Amino acid sequence: MVEQQIVARGVRDEATLQAMRTVPRHEFVAETLATAAYRDHSLPIGLGQAISQPYIVAYETELIQPRKGLKVLEVGTGSGYQAAVLAAAGCTVYTIEIFGELAGSARRRLERLDYRGVSVRHGDGNFGWPEQAPFDAILVTAAATYVPPSLVEQLKPGGRMVIPVGSMYGAQNLLQVDKDSAGKVRTRILLPVAFVPMLNGLH
Amino acid sequence: MTMRPRGLAAAVTLLSAATTAYEILVVRLLAVEQFHHFASMVIGVALLGSGMSGTLAALLPPANSLGAAARVRWAAAITAAALVASPWATHAVRVEPTQLAWDGAQWARLAALVVALALPFATGALATLTAFTVEPERAGRLYGASFAGGALGVALAIATLFALPPGQALAVPPLLGALGALWLCHTGALGLMGAGSLAAAVLFITPLWSLQLTPYKSLPQIRALPGAQLVAEETSPLGWVTALQAPSFRFAPGLSLEYRGGFPAQTALLVDGDVAGVATDLRSADAAELAEALPTALPWALGPWRRVLLIGVGSGLELKAALGHGAERVVTLELNPELLRLSRKLGPPDTVEAQRIEDRAGDARGELSQPGQPFDLITLTPAVGYGASIAGVRALDEDFLHTVDAYELYLRRLAPGGVLSVTNWLSVPPRESVRTILTAAEALRRVTGSASHGLLVARSWGTVTVLARPAGYTPGELARLRAFARQRSLDLDWPLEVSGDTEPFHAIDDPALREAAAAAVTSPREAARFAGASAFDVAPVDDARPYPHHFVRPGSMLAFLRSARGTWLPFAEWGPIAITATFVQAVLVSLLLLLAPAAIWARRTTTTVSLPVLIGFFAALGFAYVAAELAAIQQLGLLLGHPVYAVAGALTVLLACSGAGSAWSDRIAPSLGPRACASLALLLSLAAAMLLGGVHALQAAALPVRALAAFGCLAVPAFLMGLPFPLGLRSLAQGRGEVAWAWAANGFASVIGAPCGALIGLEAGSRVLFLAAGAAYALAGVLHWSALRGHGDWALKRNDARVPP
Repeated sequence: MVEQQIVARGVRDEATLQAMRTVPRHEFVAETLATAAYRDHSLPIGLGQAISQPYIVAYETELIQPRKGLKVLEVGTGSGYQAAVLAAAGCTVYTIEIFGELAGSARRRLERLDYRGVSVRHGDGNFGWPEQAPFDAILVTAAATYVPPSLVEQLKPGGRMVIPVGSMYGAQNLLQVDKDSAGKVRTRILLPVAFVPMLNGLH
Repeated sequence: MTMRPRGLAAAVTLLSAATTAYEILVVRLLAVEQFHHFASMVIGVALLGSGMSGTLAALLPPANSLGAAARVRWAAAITAAALVASPWATHAVRVEPTQLAWDGAQWARLAALVVALALPFATGALATLTAFTVEPERAGRLYGASFAGGALGVALAIATLFALPPGQALAVPPLLGALGALWLCHTGALGLMGAGSLAAAVLFITPLWSLQLTPYKSLPQIRALPGAQLVAEETSPLGWVTALQAPSFRFAPGLSLEYRGGFPAQTALLVDGDVAGVATDLRSADAAELAEALPTALPWALGPWRRVLLIGVGSGLELKAALGHGAERVVTLELNPELLRLSRKLGPPDTVEAQRIEDRAGDARGELSQPGQPFDLITLTPAVGYGASIAGVRALDEDFLHTVDAYELYLRRLAPGGVLSVTNWLSVPPRESVRTILTAAEALRRVTGSASHGLLVARSWGTVTVLARPAGYTPGELARLRAFARQRSLDLDWPLEVSGDTEPFHAIDDPALREAAAAAVTSPREAARFAGASAFDVAPVDDARPYPHHFVRPGSMLAFLRSARGTWLPFAEWGPIAITATFVQAVLVSLLLLLAPAAIWARRTTTTVSLPVLIGFFAALGFAYVAAELAAIQQLGLLLGHPVYAVAGALTVLLACSGAGSAWSDRIAPSLGPRACASLALLLSLAAAMLLGGVHALQAAALPVRALAAFGCLAVPAFLMGLPFPLGLRSLAQGRGEVAWAWAANGFASVIGAPCGALIGLEAGSRVLFLAAGAAYALAGVLHWSALRGHGDWALKRNDARVPP
């Protein structure tokens, strides 16, 4: 999976690649889908949510340059796969999931697989995790219709956020949001993507 | 038991009304539950059903008049039952059109859906067709009754949509069908079936039946928000309007990343399940601050403006910005009156500011064509929330607000020094915004003779705002725009003197926006060269081809499909994909269900006319009728101000006048058929050349005048369009085998004509579609003429040797 789908498409960051090699993706999908776990596409995880395509997970992970001690907020835990990849790369991960059921199952899964340094919260990602802010990096893994001001605020100067913004219909732009040391925010539109929508409120 | 002729015509009228009403209501149902691009599929399916009836009629063993009458009763009773069962079956099948590209099972489901939808049309048409054999001498009158029923069905369906939401309105077709069935027979098993259908129709207005929206629509997603509640629901043929409130619903396209203020309460306003506007509480202090932090506030850097026009309700924040900047009069023009009313009711302005607001429900193109005071600022906001254009679900939407002709009209309605402002969602690679730039530049060129000074392009993280100002900008104004943009983290891509070399707030690797602007202001030739070289179709569109949200070139789709799995997904346009899928399926299914059985049947029977001539004639008529209908609907959309009224108006006039033509055809000699075809070829060619000019000239007239003009334009060709089919039946298809062939060929051509016509309209425009229809009538005329003159007799009687034992 890593060589054919990820390295071949230009992901070069060694910490990211190493993490992608070690995290057992089949543990994050239903048993019936385990054989498809390493294929080049997203898979359903229930409640209309999905585990992202491996390439997108690697691409986003590389963008925030994961390293030991990097404090990362993830919005949209889903199955917990992205959080596990970040933890495997040494990051301290705070991850928020809007669906209580998914938050619970991801928490149990991450504990069972012994991913330490991951805190899972059932909550509304639009408001971030103010008690733990600021963050070195924020990864949003669900599509939003605007860049939530709370998340911009909770990003450290010099930090980076990656967020898909735009349409709910299955086509968005992946946006890189950088805050410079003076607190000035700039963005870069990276590529068109298709994420499940970011819901507000709790489920 | 014999049937009274009067009873037969009345039953045919009711059954035809039932199936036509069903056709319109299913289009509405699928538009709400899925997307609008299923319209042509439903039309194709209806025609397929109608064609299948010919096949069924041919395959059934011959019957005498009594047997045929019994067959009509059976077909009527089954139609009534099928009109109840068909909608439930469509829900049971559950097609997910976005998966068609790679999930084979979806094709099987689509086929099942087609069959479920086609059944009532097949049995309804079988009743009509068999009625012809009961009273062959009154074919014209019965055909006329069928057309009249169609017109009645359209009128009833539209009237029902004023009273009932699209789901509940489905009670009407089985009600009409059951009445038709009971008219023919109210005793025994068939009577019971009719009465049962009548009772079952009521199910559609009970909670047992509910809409099943695709999860890709905004409604199910907003409804899933905590505390979400439906606060209003209105229905009309223009759309099913719902208002949803949820404490965490937010709408702020392109909001400045510097914004740290609060959000006012916002209510999502949805038409057919998709966000079409947002009602923002304009009394809140946050509203004023938020309005100022959006890219739509940019033209106010050039203000103050006295008279402002907002096209569409938008988010209410454009209105707030105008009021906040001291505009004396802010006019909002919104097509859907319910949407406008709800946006004010749920997003009220304060009472003092309200005195400066003027709301008008109506079509912006029509309203602006009337004489009136000029505006200092005209604003168009993203018409649909969440970037539906980006996601390709609007590719088939006819939109006369974003054509070159529309932009030219806006610019001509500006006061000296006034500005047009258009904001779109930004796609990657840029497509819609590139087209907006090229369109605005072309409109500037038409109005001022040059596009070199009036164009300005500003970009946020997710939107592009294009300003077009005939007077251009002074250095002082450019400096103000630049400062205004910097405060909101907006990048100015054009003109070059303000875009400068500073590091952008929002980097985008694709330089298309700047290149488009540079090409657009240079010359029309350079603009055309740029558009031609783009991977997407980004050239400006005009009123003859009003599809500004369609970007994928036909050839590019194959390239996308060949690229790595899924990478083309963001560029996919579901409308053209749905039409193409429909086209492929229509060809296969109708070959199987229409032509193959007819061919098998033909081996067992005799024909007195050359088969290629017979098939060619009826196929040409089938295609011509559908193509002319689609072209008329497209151009009347501009004249009448809304596609729904255009569809209803065009169908009613076409069906009623064609019906009258068919009824009248009994009185004339079949030899007049070729002349009718020749006249139609001429009239449709004239329509191709002149109709759009006429529509533009009439736009300033009041709606009743425009409606009368539409009726006048359509009535004569529609009357003539009713003639060739029955005249052809009388002169060319006297045996049952020939009738079967005629019906099958006509059905086949109509079925593939619907998606084919829609694709021609999409790619080449309504003028070419009118010409195609005219050419098909010319061909039909030549074939009919040659058959009547005996020129087609090279194959005459060739089947004599095949008389069945």
